[in-house]
Amino acid sequence: MSPHPSPPIPPSAGSGPPTGAVSPPTRRQMLLGAGALALGASALGCAPGSAADTSEVRFWSLFQGGDGARLETMLDAVRDQAPHLRVTPSTLAWGPPYYTKLAMASVGGRAPETAVMHMSRLPGYAPGGLLDPFDLDLLAEFGVTAEDFVPDLWERGIHDGSTYAIPLDTHPVVLFYDTGMADRAGLLDTDGKLRALDSPEEFLEASRAIAEVSGGSGITYGHVNDDSQGWRIFWKLYNQTGAELKLPQGGPAELDRDEALRVFSFLAELMDGQTSENDLTYQSALAGFSSGRAGMLVCGEWELPYLLDNVENLGAAPFPTVFEYPGSYADSHAFVLPRQNDPDPERVRAAHEFVALMVRNSLTWGEAGHIPAYSPVMESAEYQALTPQSDYASAGETPVLDPEVWFAGAGSQFHSSVSESLRTAVSGEGPEAAVEQLARSLDSWAARINPSEGVS
Amino acid sequence: MSAPTDTTPATPGTRADSRAPQPRPGPALRLWRRVPDSPLSFLLPFLLVYALFLFWPLLSGLWMSFTDTALNGAGGTFVGPDNYTEALGDPLVWKTLGNTVLFTVVTTVPLVVVALAMAVLVHTGMPGQWLWRLSFFMPFLLPVATVALVWQFLYVDDFGLFNQVLRAFGMEGLGWLNDDGVALWSVALTTVWWTVGFNFLLYLAALQSIPDHLYEAAALDGAGAWARLWYVTVPQLRGITVVVVLLQVLASMKVFDQIYLMTGGGPGDSSRSLLLYIYDVGFTGYRFGFGAAVSYLFLAIVLVVAAVQLWITTRRKA
Amino acid sequence: MSTDTLTIRPDRPGRTGRSARSARRAELAREHARRRDLVLGGGRGPRIAALTALVVLTVLWLTPMLWGLATSFKAESDAISLPLTLFPESGFTLEQYSSLFAASNVQMWMFNSLLIAALVTVFTLAVAAPAAFAMSRMAFRGRAALMIVTVAAIVVPPQLLIVPLFQQMVSLNLVDTYPAVILPQLVAPIIVFILKRFFDAVPKELDEAARMDGASYWKLFTSVILPLSRPILAAAAIFVFISAWNNYLWPFIVTTDPALMTLPVGIPNILDSYGTFYASQLAASMIAAAPMIIVFMLFQRQIVSSVATTGITGQ
Repeated sequence: MSPHPSPPIPPSAGSGPPTGAVSPPTRRQMLLGAGALALGASALGCAPGSAADTSEVRFWSLFQGGDGARLETMLDAVRDQAPHLRVTPSTLAWGPPYYTKLAMASVGGRAPETAVMHMSRLPGYAPGGLLDPFDLDLLAEFGVTAEDFVPDLWERGIHDGSTYAIPLDTHPVVLFYDTGMADRAGLLDTDGKLRALDSPEEFLEASRAIAEVSGGSGITYGHVNDDSQGWRIFWKLYNQTGAELKLPQGGPAELDRDEALRVFSFLAELMDGQTSENDLTYQSALAGFSSGRAGMLVCGEWELPYLLDNVENLGAAPFPTVFEYPGSYADSHAFVLPRQNDPDPERVRAAHEFVALMVRNSLTWGEAGHIPAYSPVMESAEYQALTPQSDYASAGETPVLDPEVWFAGAGSQFHSSVSESLRTAVSGEGPEAAVEQLARSLDSWAARINPSEGVS
Repeated sequence: MSAPTDTTPATPGTRADSRAPQPRPGPALRLWRRVPDSPLSFLLPFLLVYALFLFWPLLSGLWMSFTDTALNGAGGTFVGPDNYTEALGDPLVWKTLGNTVLFTVVTTVPLVVVALAMAVLVHTGMPGQWLWRLSFFMPFLLPVATVALVWQFLYVDDFGLFNQVLRAFGMEGLGWLNDDGVALWSVALTTVWWTVGFNFLLYLAALQSIPDHLYEAAALDGAGAWARLWYVTVPQLRGITVVVVLLQVLASMKVFDQIYLMTGGGPGDSSRSLLLYIYDVGFTGYRFGFGAAVSYLFLAIVLVVAAVQLWITTRRKA
Repeated sequence: MSTDTLTIRPDRPGRTGRSARSARRAELAREHARRRDLVLGGGRGPRIAALTALVVLTVLWLTPMLWGLATSFKAESDAISLPLTLFPESGFTLEQYSSLFAASNVQMWMFNSLLIAALVTVFTLAVAAPAAFAMSRMAFRGRAALMIVTVAAIVVPPQLLIVPLFQQMVSLNLVDTYPAVILPQLVAPIIVFILKRFFDAVPKELDEAARMDGASYWKLFTSVILPLSRPILAAAAIFVFISAWNNYLWPFIVTTDPALMTLPVGIPNILDSYGTFYASQLAASMIAAAPMIIVFMLFQRQIVSSVATTGITGQ
């Protein structure tokens, strides 16, 4: 079914223009070619250049929404304090895509000068040569030293004796509630704060009570189609039982199955599909809580700015000690230096200055809900005066971070594969099957070889 | 006819009776007339581009599939067929292949049937041609980002339009993108809406090549609208239907964009396609060698499908 | 010959001018009326049935975009409020659009999309047309083999080459550059094939006459074949442009710097965030969709026939 051109009029019909001439189209063609080349060249020229007296710092972050707004404020402060830095921020979608992009950018050789990374992801990046280490002398020159940070957090940024990550914050998962509903459900203590819900029974009872008041759901949690939520809540509660998880290279994983079952059974009871939905996505849980269809939400404090804008009577508390030991799932946003093919000393210096300034300006970051990692800021009176931040700040004292292995961490494939077990527990074959699924998943991850280290 | 008039008058000296001996052109002209007039001068850009960006990656990818090359350049050791044996034993390869086949089937059928219906209806010449064509074909021109965002919004559990309509009719809402029995079907539905316009146009073009005299003859026989549809229109569309089905199968097998954007392959792996899995293991998981091996297995499947396609077409013609 | 034919015929002169256009419109209306009689017969029943079906399908097909469009003009709180209403409580607003244009990369991505699609189109044709000409008109060793390889290449989905192609771009040090986005997209064997088929159908007497007059092949190509092939070149160009404009996977793989992203890659990348910002997301989607919809409304006939021709000849 091809087009059949009807016979065209011959070009030299009658005494038409002469044929056999050396054709001007050739010149036109050459011009066209040259024009295309010029276009191509100018396209190449669009790559970021550098002006003479300023240093460009391209900066990737994964902060959006309220976080993004606070970040802008911090960037403005940095621009004021260091006008010679030309900061070009880029915000990318957070999650596995962000980390895939970051690795691809490092490999590609035109990576940004600096980027934000979850501390938990560092073991997958630093050993593979995807990051450049920080020059601590340079950082000290700009007023930031190791002593300014919580030692445990700082240590997580070190690989092979070099520092690869400078922490900005700790960000735990907390419990948000509508103070009005909590009050009517009888869940507030005399100070008007949420009372301790320190056993599985109390927690479930609270969920039922608040569901009655809200006329919708009780304590909700969104996890469907999410790459991390399933793992976050399991890992926190598993740590609260005091159980350990060992992931030796080559496997098998050592999971305490009894405790894991206790955790999943509790979660299945919480999200029973009656009191609280068992099939909420992260977004719908958030939207449900902010529109008053649910009275309490288990969620990262990073949603604080959004919730403050959308919930009139917002309360917040650390995630309760449901089992035996306190513990809140947490991670830390940190600054890293993606690997450069040809590091320009001026830009490296500028990147260090930028990171130091951002850390020193992190009070704004505390306003977004996060707990600043830089002690001089965290201990300042200004930070201590923030509410409801101060209501859950204690969660930062007992953070439960991911296991320190190359495949774990925020937005990792590991997260998405182990997160699946929660769905099995609450809306699939049940808690026992969930434990089996999780154990299989952990075994297969422990058995894997780190591809970025290759087979030696 | 603008063709001949485009050629501006010839350079003096070359305008000559072709049978007469031609005067020697200047050096530059000679260069232009001599060197480039070989087939190679026509083919050079083509050969270069295809060698560099088709054959080279085909070969280097094949080599890579026998190594443990990683995204960051680590590895690169020859590992023999290890990647292939691992891929064949990887349940996720089979799971995502199954998803791909299911997606292909559940998109191809409506994409052919609905496109046919649309084309037949538009072909009736009812007034409003511009509007019909715009509505049916326009989605095909939308970037996938727009398609994904608009449909994600329609699919939201509580305030999404679809669930609200279902509930208005007293039915239960569906977990369009978050129920693992439904997600792949939802993406398929979106795909039908998005790409049906292409097949619609192919059918419409075919319909317009049906000669009038067939309809005139049917009218003389007293055939009504339905009879004309069944005995004149439909039989004339067999050829194009084979084309549309085969094009559609090959297109659906390569699905990535809308799944990646709408569900990311979830919930679980319930909507993950094979191409998405290649991206996952190759880029997100750093394993270029393994990713390349899965790609070549997939390529083998595509070639088999194409061979079947060739076989069917040639047999039909014979 | 039907006047609203979908497939490509050689160029016809004298199509412009207002009177010509209105004459064409009248001619089209007559043609449609004639087709109604032919296909449906004279009865009212089939006409009502056909129109009803068309209206139902059209409503179904327009609803998603219109719903998205309406929501993009709402405030965020109205976008997610229940019960759903088409007309929001606080009225329609332009705030989503103004904030997008004030603080996002949307304009930059639009420029990138335009530049990349245009360059891909120009270069694809510049590579394919001479090659197709050589395959159609010139005798050389390996011609048959080259044809077979070209046809075979149509079957190889470029999507399966993302892993080796990315590695190649890393070794060429091209990741995050325009050439990296453009170059692999120039591999379009289907276009070579379509052009060759079209050139084959141009009568050979033409070039024999020209050759007799001593014209070189380049002369023949540029002043005989190309001018005659304008409709198919335009069709191929439109087809390549649409594909490049909407291409997602490869630009997504090879650009990590937001400054180099195209619209389809950039829009979800910046908006696929935690938190609910549906109205703003939809506004961005509408911006991304607008250029192509406008172009389609202006050039519906050309685009429709381009897609139909390239799609069918692709076989």
